[in-house]
Amino acid sequence: MDASQIIFFLSAALILVSALFVVTARNLVHAALWLIATLFGVAVLYVLLEAGFLAVVQVVVYIGAIAILFIFAVMLTRRDLLSQSSQTNANWPVALGVSALSLAAIAFIARGFGFSLDRPLAPVPTDSLERLGQALVSPQQFVLPFEVASVLLVAALVGAVYVAMNKK
Amino acid sequence: MQNPWVYLGLFLLVGIIIPIVPIAFSALIAPRKPNPIKQSTYECGIETVGESWVQFKAQYYVFALVFLIFDVETVFLFPWALALNAQNPAVLPAFIAIEGVIFILILVAGLVYTWRKGLLEWA
Amino acid sequence: MTITDFSVILPVTLLTAWASILLLAELFLPRAQRPFLALLAALGLALTLGISLAQSAQEFAPGFGGMVVRDGFSNFLNVLFLLTGLFGVALSYRYNQRAQIERGEYYPLLLFSVAGMMLMGQAADLIVVFLALELLSFPLYILSAFAYPRPQSEEAGLKYFLLGAFASGFVVYGIALTFGASGSTDLARIVASVAAGSANLPLLTAGAGLLLVGFGFKVAAVPFHMWTPDVYQGAPTSVTAFMAAGAKTAGFAALLRVFGAAFPALAADLSPLMAILAAVTMLFGNLIAVAQTDMKRMLAYSSIAQAGYLLMAFAPFEIEAARTMAVAGALFYLLAYTLASFGSWGVVIALEKDLDRHLSIGDFAGLARRSPWLAAAMTVFMLSLTGLPPTLGLVGKIYLFRAVIEGGMVWLAVIGALTSVVSAFYYLRIVVNMFMREGEPAVEREWWLEFAIGAAAVVTVVVSLWPFPLFEWAEWAVMKLF
Repeated sequence: MDASQIIFFLSAALILVSALFVVTARNLVHAALWLIATLFGVAVLYVLLEAGFLAVVQVVVYIGAIAILFIFAVMLTRRDLLSQSSQTNANWPVALGVSALSLAAIAFIARGFGFSLDRPLAPVPTDSLERLGQALVSPQQFVLPFEVASVLLVAALVGAVYVAMNKK
Repeated sequence: MQNPWVYLGLFLLVGIIIPIVPIAFSALIAPRKPNPIKQSTYECGIETVGESWVQFKAQYYVFALVFLIFDVETVFLFPWALALNAQNPAVLPAFIAIEGVIFILILVAGLVYTWRKGLLEWA
Repeated sequence: MTITDFSVILPVTLLTAWASILLLAELFLPRAQRPFLALLAALGLALTLGISLAQSAQEFAPGFGGMVVRDGFSNFLNVLFLLTGLFGVALSYRYNQRAQIERGEYYPLLLFSVAGMMLMGQAADLIVVFLALELLSFPLYILSAFAYPRPQSEEAGLKYFLLGAFASGFVVYGIALTFGASGSTDLARIVASVAAGSANLPLLTAGAGLLLVGFGFKVAAVPFHMWTPDVYQGAPTSVTAFMAAGAKTAGFAALLRVFGAAFPALAADLSPLMAILAAVTMLFGNLIAVAQTDMKRMLAYSSIAQAGYLLMAFAPFEIEAARTMAVAGALFYLLAYTLASFGSWGVVIALEKDLDRHLSIGDFAGLARRSPWLAAAMTVFMLSLTGLPPTLGLVGKIYLFRAVIEGGMVWLAVIGALTSVVSAFYYLRIVVNMFMREGEPAVEREWWLEFAIGAAAVVTVVVSLWPFPLFEWAEWAVMKLF
């Protein structure tokens, strides 16, 4: 077991444990904080896969913006709703069954993919980020999705602001 | 050490150790003589009134929303800037610049929207 | 970057730019000028429609390195989506004033949604498919929740958003698996990698299955239909009308494009699944619709059932000859469905005088005496949805059933025919109510609304008398697809 494998198991454990706390924590702020731990663990996984840009995006967007948004949204609610309501409803056995089935399906698919712990990573070019940028702006590749993403962001902004504005 | 991420890991490790050491140290050597006044939450402050969980202003939420959108925009602009600066670009740099300007201009429409709706004011 | 690239996405670009400008115009226009926004939105849609029609004679052309294409299929759908947008504006104009939801964001969001639909019709890459899906859905989530502070509308928006986001997750997962299996998100390259035998077929099947689930939510196929009645009922009726026609057509556009173009190799695995999905959707939608008394819920279940008929088009994918006809039949039926759906929702809007009270089927009693033309138009739409002459719905169903029978799935055609008989019960009940029962329905008289309803009814009847040019157009549209 080399260093990267040790880091992998540590961060995987962090992800699983903190994700468990996210769904079981009674206090929603605590749940949001545990979510940050989960997201951070995923960022470490990206680093291990040598996807440095994705790791940075994970930290900047998910931890830096989305988790904060969650905490603000939680702080908009009233606390007294939390302690009284039950955390599960009558459907939990069904949900458990569906989850187990999904897990089995994913395991089945992953087996077909031929994953292996000893397989080395494909070499990542050192200028991969620059290549990503080139692909984003090249008309033969992703310039259209690049611009459409901008339109999508505006539509999302207008919609989210419209809904949030009414709540004031 | 070739992998730059190792430095980041070291920083993380040091960042965790630094607060742990003094806390552990003081826990080990500090004398313990508890009394009720010392044990109170605010030994030399004012007792809180009501719940500590207060309802935030909705404004925070809107700000976070707008921030999120422009955060994602930055994520897109970072590789774009690298492409603009590339040694042997696949496309004419002028084209790359124009594409970026269009990308930003579309989002400026969103910014103008939030501005005109008065959401950027703290009132 | 070439001129072709731009000409391929010209309609979408124009509409998006128009929507952005509309968004800004709303901010700087004084409140009294707000009604002009509807007119401006309609103008933008009409302009784009003109360009799309002018381009319809042009040849197949890929754009941006195969990200998007312009072919007969996308042209047909572009025209359909733009008509959907125009109908949507016509139905919304006075209704929004009545419901006091005439807010500036409405029309820009509507146009963004139409742009997303058009992009969906043109997408030739799974990444564009996903972006188009989000671009068309996101405004719809907001529009469903538009009638603030009505809690029902907010509930509808929230439900639609949560389930829609969940469905988007399935789509992304499906795209990821497809990419993993074939090494590309480009539809043509996926086909090539399957043909070359380099694709991982189990993984590709799993990816296709997940995509099917995601799009199944969008088109409201059973068992992914749960959100439909609540959202259709809770959303403002003008939005429901737009959603029922537009979102469903766009979902089928994606299904037809992706499953028709990229996964023919999987047809042996997928077509029995599709046939079962179609059968279940037809049975469930029609049987539940019979039990409804609320008009909006009944039309919602009816739209689920209609998705079942459209899904029949995917069943005969194994047989080469039947495939083309099935897809052409689906396009034809989508047009018929769009007209009938918009028409019937338009009539609902005309009758919805009191917006806080749900319109029931009984409220249609006496409409024939009060407003004979409206009753006649409604009869046409109900006949078309049932599949009775003289309407486009009948012609569309004949094409679909024939394709299914040629594909060797007689049992599916039998289920389709039987459920059509069931559907006659609840569709014709409204006709009976309008003509045979006494009542004093309150009818809103609105010029734009009446014009839209009238146009839909006239086209539904007149084109059905001589449908061959339209069907030839649909057949021509799918020629390049395979």
